[in-house]
Amino acid sequence: MDFSTEEIYTLAETIWNSTLGLAIEPDSSGAFGTHPRSTAACIQITGAWNGAVMLDCPAEIARLAASIMFHTEPDRVTLTDVQDAIAELANMFGGNIKGLLPATCYLSLPAVVEGADYSARVPGSRLKNRLSFLCNGHVISIAILERIEPKTAAA
Amino acid sequence: MPSTPTASPPAAPQAPISPKLIAPFVNSVRSVFSTMVKVESKVGIPHLKDVPAPSYDVSGIIGFSGDIVGNVVVSFQKAAAEKLVSAFAGASIPAESPDFADALGELANMIAGGAKKDLGVNASITCPSVIIGQGHHIARLRDVPCIVFPCQTEFGNFAVEVNIKEVQPGAGRKEK
Repeated sequence: MDFSTEEIYTLAETIWNSTLGLAIEPDSSGAFGTHPRSTAACIQITGAWNGAVMLDCPAEIARLAASIMFHTEPDRVTLTDVQDAIAELANMFGGNIKGLLPATCYLSLPAVVEGADYSARVPGSRLKNRLSFLCNGHVISIAILERIEPKTAAA
Repeated sequence: MPSTPTASPPAAPQAPISPKLIAPFVNSVRSVFSTMVKVESKVGIPHLKDVPAPSYDVSGIIGFSGDIVGNVVVSFQKAAAEKLVSAFAGASIPAESPDFADALGELANMIAGGAKKDLGVNASITCPSVIIGQGHHIARLRDVPCIVFPCQTEFGNFAVEVNIKEVQPGAGRKEK
């Protein structure tokens, strides 16, 4: 199953615009993963297709997203609000990616992590596509990973 | 068109977690570390994680979907993780190695898989997600208690955080 960069960008644009009222732009800076503090959410898809969707947001955008979603001033959002906001955005991405899949699939609940200087990986998977885009000058990334199915033993 | 979320809800009252959801994880931890890592693990008294405190330095997250939903996190001190992963793999694997996350994810996968068998429910487990970095916070379901099991081994400490709930049969699945 392939996911084109154009499909992912269109999803990102739709979600960011309709949920947050924010515009995005394509990013070619290659600055992905360089923010000092960020929130990432991973939502897994199981069933006819097995993989994961990972959304990675710098702290400033995660906080802004939470303030918009929950109608709170940015300096009053809590860690929980930020995690909930990014989880919700990842859930939307996951749900829309699932909509592109041909057969019955199930979404996990999002796993959300927040911190500085951490790495997040999904072992046993391969990167199918990664898109970075800009929002308010900050780089956000969406990665789609596909589970590497173990080879079955020969009969 | 993606739906727009409503305002952040107030903290939901937490449903009690069923003991039958917990014992399989305790048993699975003991079994996996005994058989696959060849170390004895002492599981301490479980307690509620009622504040979003950081996990240890290295965490493996396994999601459940189906008749049980939520996440299970196995979180290690970095030094303990390196020793346990190396014992599991039969070779020295530092945290910087790409094999480290793979091996740690596999341990988490085994713990969750072993527990899932004992739970006897219709549920799927996800690929593990592995987080490496001090001071990271992992979100949890707010309407379900997060039960933490502190564990000790000769190589150091780790914790298992169980944040799962049963759903009505068939209701936990978001079918296409």
